[in-house]
Amino acid sequence: MMDNVDLEILLALQDGILLVREPFSAIATHLGIEPEEVVERLKRLREQKVIRKFGLFVRKSKVGVVANAMVVWEVPNSRVEEVAEFISKFREVTHCYERRTTPKWKYNIYTVIHGAERKTVTEFVKMLSDAVHVNDYLILFSVREFVRRSTGRIRPEASIAEVSDALDSVT
Amino acid sequence: MIDRRLLEKAQDEFPLTVQPWASIGNDLGITEKEVIRRLRVLFRRGVVRKIAPALDARRVGLRASTLIAMKVPENRIQDVAKIVSKYREVSHCYQREHEFNFWFTIAARNEHELGKMVEQIRRGANIPEDEMLDLPSTRIFKIDVRFQLTSVSYS
Repeated sequence: MMDNVDLEILLALQDGILLVREPFSAIATHLGIEPEEVVERLKRLREQKVIRKFGLFVRKSKVGVVANAMVVWEVPNSRVEEVAEFISKFREVTHCYERRTTPKWKYNIYTVIHGAERKTVTEFVKMLSDAVHVNDYLILFSVREFVRRSTGRIRPEASIAEVSDALDSVT
Repeated sequence: MIDRRLLEKAQDEFPLTVQPWASIGNDLGITEKEVIRRLRVLFRRGVVRKIAPALDARRVGLRASTLIAMKVPENRIQDVAKIVSKYREVSHCYQREHEFNFWFTIAARNEHELGKMVEQIRRGANIPEDEMLDLPSTRIFKIDVRFQLTSVSYS
């Protein structure tokens, strides 16, 4: 279960903590609790997987990751789990989803793959393809980025009910 | 070298404690002050985007989401991007090399809200129904955006 204090903490920190000695003290004071409690709550939220990850996010173009592609694969239904789990093991693969197919679009496994240059990505994908014996795939390199923000952003006006209900309904 | 280890530490094993920078400094053999100073520089140079909790969308009330692909004429890409970017509910939006050249992800509290928004965007962007793909996820196998930090550039 999440309560209002959890919600206030996440709202205060979701856009980033400050580079001060005790980055959790300001919100603690605001809520009238000790910074230790903020930390304990964050740890619990991480255990409950409300927080997927707590940490530093780099700008990928600044750390030598310039080529990015969404690679979509057509994997037989019976092999989805095996193939997706294998592909997910690689650090170059940041996302791996199964998605609904349509008569116009047969691809069911979606991966986002990063590399230093296009050639690195293309070779890596070829290696994956050989390893899992899936030859039907498309490499969709990104040309321009228009929006890139956190997927799980809480709206400032969100109520504890809508957030907490959601937590209970996800297994 | 210290910067690289600092970035890796803060990315991969961020210590959730009252004084996290002191704890990181301890592990790297530098002072808390030095950690803060170096991170400030890395922020200024754009290497660090943020230090924050990344939340699970479904667990914070965004239960419906999808990936949309559209065929947008090259000369209209910028305009369509402007329309799409206005929606706070859109988290990623890219131009990609394919016939379907415009891709974005969007999330909402429920299917009804999501469907309404997608339809609004499609009409606003003036894209025929058969030039759009609606590809909701059925299973998430991995989301882990952490990079190997072998070449940090300050340019």
